[in-house]
Amino acid sequence: MKRIAFPPALVFILVLFSASAAFGQVQTRIRAIEASNVGLGIDPSLRDVHRELGSLFSFTSYRLLRDETLNLLPNQTVLIQGHHPGRFMEVTLVGIRRNVATLRIRVIRERVVILDTAVRLFPGRTVLIGGPRRGEAVVIFAVSARF
Amino acid sequence: MKNSCSSVSRLLGKYFDQEVNEKEKLLIEGHLQGCTTCREALRSMEELKALLKGPVEEAVQKEDFPWVWQKIEKEIRLQKRLTWWQSLHSWLDVSGLFRRRVWVPAAATLVVLLLITAQFIFKRTPSYAGASVVEYLDSPTCNVLVYQSEEPKVTVIWLFEGTEQGATPS
Repeated sequence: MKRIAFPPALVFILVLFSASAAFGQVQTRIRAIEASNVGLGIDPSLRDVHRELGSLFSFTSYRLLRDETLNLLPNQTVLIQGHHPGRFMEVTLVGIRRNVATLRIRVIRERVVILDTAVRLFPGRTVLIGGPRRGEAVVIFAVSARF
Repeated sequence: MKNSCSSVSRLLGKYFDQEVNEKEKLLIEGHLQGCTTCREALRSMEELKALLKGPVEEAVQKEDFPWVWQKIEKEIRLQKRLTWWQSLHSWLDVSGLFRRRVWVPAAATLVVLLLITAQFIFKRTPSYAGASVVEYLDSPTCNVLVYQSEEPKVTVIWLFEGTEQGATPS
C-alpha cells in the first residue's frame, strides 16, 4: 500500500512545486543608502553597487542604513519605515510575467504621497529612488528583484 | 424421511469421495443404516469405482515411466544449452519489468519532473535593452527626474524635495 501511495504523492508534491513556481514569490531587495558629501568612503556592504553609485552621483560618502529582503506575493503590500517619523515606503507587487516583476512604490511623508510610481524590474536591473532628505544627506533606495 | 433421503442422496457423491465434513458424515451414516435405497446407491458407486480401477492400474503398470523421465530430463538439458547471444539477450531482457503496474505512476512522475526541469533548462532570458522600466510616475508635491542607463543597468528616480544643496545626481 505504501509503495503504491508513494508515486502519486510525489506527483502531487511536484505539481504543487510547479504551481508555486508559476504563482510564486518575488524576492525583492530594498536597501536604504545615506549619501552625503560629509566624509569620504563607501560602506563595505555596498561594494556591489559602488560602480553604479559612483557613475551616477557625485556624493563622497555612502552608508547603508537598512537592508531589507522581501518575499512578495502578488498584490501583497509591505511598509518600510523610514528613518524619520512619518516617513515610509509602501511596496506592492502588482504582477509578475516571465522575468519581469512590476512593483508599485509609494513614498509617503506625513501622510502625503510624495511619489507614486510603478516600475518593471528585469533581471540585473536596479531602480534607485533618491531625493528624500536626511539632514545634510539624502536617502537613496536601491530596489532590485531576484527571479 | 423422504426429505432426509433426497438431501442425503445429494451428499452421497461427496461422501463417497471423502469430501464431507464431520457433521455431514454423521448425518449420512445415520441415514444409511435405515435407508436401503441410499445404501444401494453407495454400493453402485463402489462397484463402478472397482470396475474402473482395475484397467487403469493395469495400464499404469504397463507404462514405462523411467523412460518418460529420461526424455524430460534430456529436453531440460537441451534447453539449458543456450548460445552466447541467447544468454546475452535473456540477460538484457527487461520486458518483464514493464508488465508491472508500478511503472505507470513512475512514468507519470518522470514526465512531470521533465516538464518542470524543462522550464529551467529551456528558459530564455529575453533582452530588455531599451525597455521602459518606469511604467507610470506621479508626484503632486515634488519635481521628479527619471534617468535610465543601460550600462550599468540602473534607473534613477530622483525627487527634488524642497531646496537642494548639492544633493542632486551628477
